[in-house]
Amino acid sequence: MKKKVLSLLLVGAMLGATLTGCGGSGTTDNSASNAPATDNAPAADTSTNAPADTSADAPAGDQTLTVWCWDPAFNMNAMYEAEKVYQKDHPDFSLNVIETPWEDVQTKLTTAATSGDLSTLPDIFLMQDNAFQKNVISFPDAVVDLTNSGVDFSQFAAGKVAYSVIDGKNYGVPFDNGAVIGCYRTDLLEQAGLTIDDFTDITFDQYVENGKKVLDATGKPLLSMQAGECDLLMMMMQSAGSSLFNEDGSANIVGNETLKTVMETYKQLRDAGVLIEVNSWDEYVGSIVSGDVAGTINGCWIMASIQTAEDQKGNWAVTNMPSLVGVAGATNYSNNGGSSWAVSANCQNTELAFDFLASTFAGSTELYDNILSSGALATWAPAGDSDAYSVPNDFFGGDAVSAKIVEYSTKVPSNITGVYYYEGRDAVATAITNYINGADLETEMQGAADTVNFNMQ
Amino acid sequence: MTKGKKFLMYLFLIIVSFISVFPLYWMISASTNKSAEVISGRLIPGTYFIENFKNLMASQNISRALGNSFKYAIILTLISLVVSSLAGYGFEIFHDKAKDMVMSIILLAMMVPFVATMIPLFQMFSKAGWLNTTIGFILPTISTPFLIMMFRQSARSFPHDIMEAARIDGLSEIRIFFQMFIPTMRSTYAAAMTITFMNAWNSYLWPKVIMTDANSQTMPMVVANLTQGYVTDYGMLMLAVLICTLPTAIVFFCLQNAFAEGITGAVK
Amino acid sequence: MSNSSKKLTLDKKQNLTGWIFLAPGALLIFFMSFVPMFRALILSFKSGTGAALNWCGISNYTRMFQDSVFIQSIKNTFFYLIIQVPLMLIFALILASILNNKDLRFKGLFRTMIFLPCATSLVAYAVIFRSLFANNGIINLILVKLGILSQPYAFLTNTWSARIVIIIALLWRWTGYNMVFYLSALQNIEYSVYEAAKIDGASPIQTFFKITVPLLKPTILLTAIMSTNGTLQLFDESVNLTDGGPANASITMSHYIYNISFKYVPKFGYAAAMSFLILILVAILAFLQMKVGDKRD
Repeated sequence: MKKKVLSLLLVGAMLGATLTGCGGSGTTDNSASNAPATDNAPAADTSTNAPADTSADAPAGDQTLTVWCWDPAFNMNAMYEAEKVYQKDHPDFSLNVIETPWEDVQTKLTTAATSGDLSTLPDIFLMQDNAFQKNVISFPDAVVDLTNSGVDFSQFAAGKVAYSVIDGKNYGVPFDNGAVIGCYRTDLLEQAGLTIDDFTDITFDQYVENGKKVLDATGKPLLSMQAGECDLLMMMMQSAGSSLFNEDGSANIVGNETLKTVMETYKQLRDAGVLIEVNSWDEYVGSIVSGDVAGTINGCWIMASIQTAEDQKGNWAVTNMPSLVGVAGATNYSNNGGSSWAVSANCQNTELAFDFLASTFAGSTELYDNILSSGALATWAPAGDSDAYSVPNDFFGGDAVSAKIVEYSTKVPSNITGVYYYEGRDAVATAITNYINGADLETEMQGAADTVNFNMQ
Repeated sequence: MTKGKKFLMYLFLIIVSFISVFPLYWMISASTNKSAEVISGRLIPGTYFIENFKNLMASQNISRALGNSFKYAIILTLISLVVSSLAGYGFEIFHDKAKDMVMSIILLAMMVPFVATMIPLFQMFSKAGWLNTTIGFILPTISTPFLIMMFRQSARSFPHDIMEAARIDGLSEIRIFFQMFIPTMRSTYAAAMTITFMNAWNSYLWPKVIMTDANSQTMPMVVANLTQGYVTDYGMLMLAVLICTLPTAIVFFCLQNAFAEGITGAVK
Repeated sequence: MSNSSKKLTLDKKQNLTGWIFLAPGALLIFFMSFVPMFRALILSFKSGTGAALNWCGISNYTRMFQDSVFIQSIKNTFFYLIIQVPLMLIFALILASILNNKDLRFKGLFRTMIFLPCATSLVAYAVIFRSLFANNGIINLILVKLGILSQPYAFLTNTWSARIVIIIALLWRWTGYNMVFYLSALQNIEYSVYEAAKIDGASPIQTFFKITVPLLKPTILLTAIMSTNGTLQLFDESVNLTDGGPANASITMSHYIYNISFKYVPKFGYAAAMSFLILILVAILAFLQMKVGDKRD
């Protein structure tokens, strides 16, 4: 390793004097779980990072787990509450929660796994459900199989668990609920002579009719969506249990009648003025909180953003989403977003991590009661039976929204995410943009299929 | 210059300055409003500043992040200026065919997108045991082709006759550099310092990959934290962004006279 | 040993001094850039999913020419380059020479204000630009009020307007930055040169083209290479303002490479190959610029 010696010499000569102080403080700050692995890393190749080998090195008394997640008010808060719950029986236990935005989790995971040095990874991290298939298949050595970890996966909503199952093995403990809800401004509906019941268990045809009435009466569209993002398309697809991929992983785009109906429905909504496209996420949230639209359709986590519009308190109501017309298996239920906990292969004490997850996120109604106020709705069935879920929510007209959403989530059809989910999504986003600007639908679907197939080569 | 022309010049500068500063004004005004007001496009300052400040302090460790950012940015800027200006000076003052060649090769180094070299660099640093260290943080950006080239270009106007005179007086090359070149090129150093400090202050991707510890979070990481999650508090976010922007603005304001007033006169 | 060192001529000694001066910087660049670059080059001849890679010859390089998104991204990036870089440099040069005027008042204030955009953090600037160009944003509001538009125009979601917004954003953000280099370089031009020109009856425009531009040539070259490089590696604006849309109409090469590496199922070999194409393109452009601008008179 001449190179290394040279570079060390160079660094020593150039920076020695200036850096000793700071370098020292930087290295001693390492979290406990990282330190042993960093020392092993140069000698170890990818295979020796497997949990079975490294867990032997773990100090027996170490009861600390490092966790990456990204929202202080939401999933970080959930982790802190879980820590409290677990500490009751394990007083020595502690968590080191590091705020890490999802994109950075993905970048760090990719970098570490590709380099074969997993020592920078934490013990547990939160992963977007849509990214599970991709990451587990790309980096099978980076995450731990949880099938026999003691977590009872049958108690979670089946559609939710399916995101993190690869080759029949469980890789994620489900966390937040992404069940799709339709949210409506009842005060605006009233001006059009409608109530929330006119939007419950309806089809998209009825939705368009209602939307036109609302538009005539108030001048406001029913729905805003971010142009170039196909969230709504994906929600519609899943509501009929369909996806862009087949069981064997191949693209299911050309000749996919559900996709065709979805794209036509989207164009119909837009052409009728019921749906308005906005440029960005900020503008989307802005259109809701500033009262430019009479409602929205999204994952139930959108409620937290809606509730920042304090002046609209009591004027909102929640129901299920419209269903597709003329599609087999169409329902009023779908899912958008959501995430699950994964255990990294860098975890030195997998026993502890398993037990922690099994007795909190997969075993404590108390935890779910405590985090309900932050908007974290469970996909763990026993939690939904808790009294806390039937407490009325004044912002949404005194409705017991939480119980409603838990019920929705059990009805969501599961579908195939696909390893190439993001490729498929972007290709369809391009297709829908061209289609609503006048291009031929069949041609665009073929184009999307070509792009996806090219990426799968 | 006629009065009319002068008026036009000021008018032009005022318009350009207004366009440049408007977003900053927006940022300051947004930091005093509630999130829902910011997102609805409110432009006038509100009364929510204290709440935003409290919320920010409660959700993020700002003082730690500011401390880290200053630490890394100052260390990196000082070392980087010495190393890069030495090299730029060496390339120009002692230039010959071989050194010009090396310079061209060095320029190539800035042309590969960082996304491509990040993973190999990470592998190297993990073998050297530099993950989660200050060295790991700063080493890749100490010597940049850009700074070397900047100092090389400016060394071109370093008066050769002064240098020859100094050599005849028996001054060593290193003393000529430190005692004559650095003071003469104060304007270049000031500009380079502003730019390097700004880049170091705002660096994000590499620090994020190599520093995984909560204790080494910097201001840009704090800002990024605030943009994630299901709900963005725009008032609080803009306050954080404001705190993140001010140091660079202050550094620029303090250093600008050095590179924009008549330095050349002082050299004579 | 002392004997041989005495024999060194002054030239040789100076030559050696030069190498010693540039060694730390050059070696750091060698280890921090060229070594990883070489590893990336090896990677570009491999393919596979995630961390499991196999040799694949030059297939990553031939693949690029069948990749319609990548070809689109090259077109977009060159469009930005051709329009934005000359505009920005000219504008920066004009601003710098105005601000270098001895008699100008409030210089410090003007300079700071014009520099501020590049100090503004990316997050803020992205949020601000998106809100300025939103359907109900100020730009639309003004244009509708003035009667130029009959109804709001979706700037960020139409092909050409999205590209133009990116160029406007780049001009806004980086003009002041380039101005700084010109301002610092202008200090090396003695003011007496301008006085002499004035006495000879040269107009400000003549002075600008006959004196300022030629004397700033080394700095103009520096900024031209920098901006060309910066634009060919453009990433932030594409990601944060338009997310590459609509339908990839504004996506840049670096943005696509990032997607291939981190958003999609990672293909590092392919990403590395595309990076080397960027390297070659920038190198050619930089070489041409050096040929034109780097003559020592």
